[in-house]
Amino acid sequence: MHIYAFGSISRGDIQADSDVDLLAIVDGFDSRFSSDIYSIYSYNRLRDLWQEGNPFAWHLSLESRLIFSSNNDDYLKSLGSPSSYNNCARDCHRFYSLFREAIDSIAVRPNSKVFDLSTVFLSIRNIATCYSLGMTDQPVFSRNSALCLGKSSLAITSEAYDIFLRSRILCTRGYGTNITDREFQVAVSQFDKIDDWMALLTAQVKTDE
Amino acid sequence: MSEFNNRIAAQRTILNLVNGGCSFSEELFGLSRKAIDRWILTNHIDSESSLVHLINEVSAKLFFLANKSQEQVSEEYKTVSTEIECLYKSIEVEIG
Repeated sequence: MHIYAFGSISRGDIQADSDVDLLAIVDGFDSRFSSDIYSIYSYNRLRDLWQEGNPFAWHLSLESRLIFSSNNDDYLKSLGSPSSYNNCARDCHRFYSLFREAIDSIAVRPNSKVFDLSTVFLSIRNIATCYSLGMTDQPVFSRNSALCLGKSSLAITSEAYDIFLRSRILCTRGYGTNITDREFQVAVSQFDKIDDWMALLTAQVKTDE
Repeated sequence: MSEFNNRIAAQRTILNLVNGGCSFSEELFGLSRKAIDRWILTNHIDSESSLVHLINEVSAKLFFLANKSQEQVSEEYKTVSTEIECLYKSIEVEIG
């Protein structure tokens, strides 16, 4: 069994409202680990992710620290570097679709607004991370990856960005102040800009292929 | 569509059912353990009610697949998808 810390605590940019990301690698069910606290993976599953060059494998490879090893080895280190990331176009397209589904959902039936705004944040963060990994020399795994792409960064108001982020935290951790109707409208007003940004990144990735 | 996107869509379907069918002061934000706990607490919902049990069950099913090996996913996805559809119908009945 192996335990790693990864994400902001590993990068050293952890903030008061950051998650503490912990990875447990086990063989089969282990009652000591709750999925509320740990990302729980089997050794085989991680090996698969390494072989496919999955962004999560790259994240762990570049930004994790071993906390405990039952056999004194560093399992992730022993896997070496993940394979090249070759699915950037496919992944960017998927996260663009995820964004489109969220805004369609809001247009059709806005009774789970926080979830849909949270999904917008998820798609923004993930498309930026995939883009940075596939198209630049400096992959960014921070939750604010969309703001760290230099001239390709997402340009929306900071108020709207914070509303999307707060929605994500409400959805995953149940923590924070609910989104008001006014804030919802502020977030919705930025959908076109986000759409344009995602279309641009997706087109760039496609061209590069 | 990827299984990741499918799981998000399935979450949305359940949340729309619950939030559209119940008139609580605060909507259910997500199907994570902590979001469900907040929903129960804020709206003074009986944590032993059938509705809460069904929502917890859906939550567990949806997060079940995330850590599976690639070769296991396809078959298990089909099974769990069917189970989620059944739970959706049970929640629908529960909400009335």
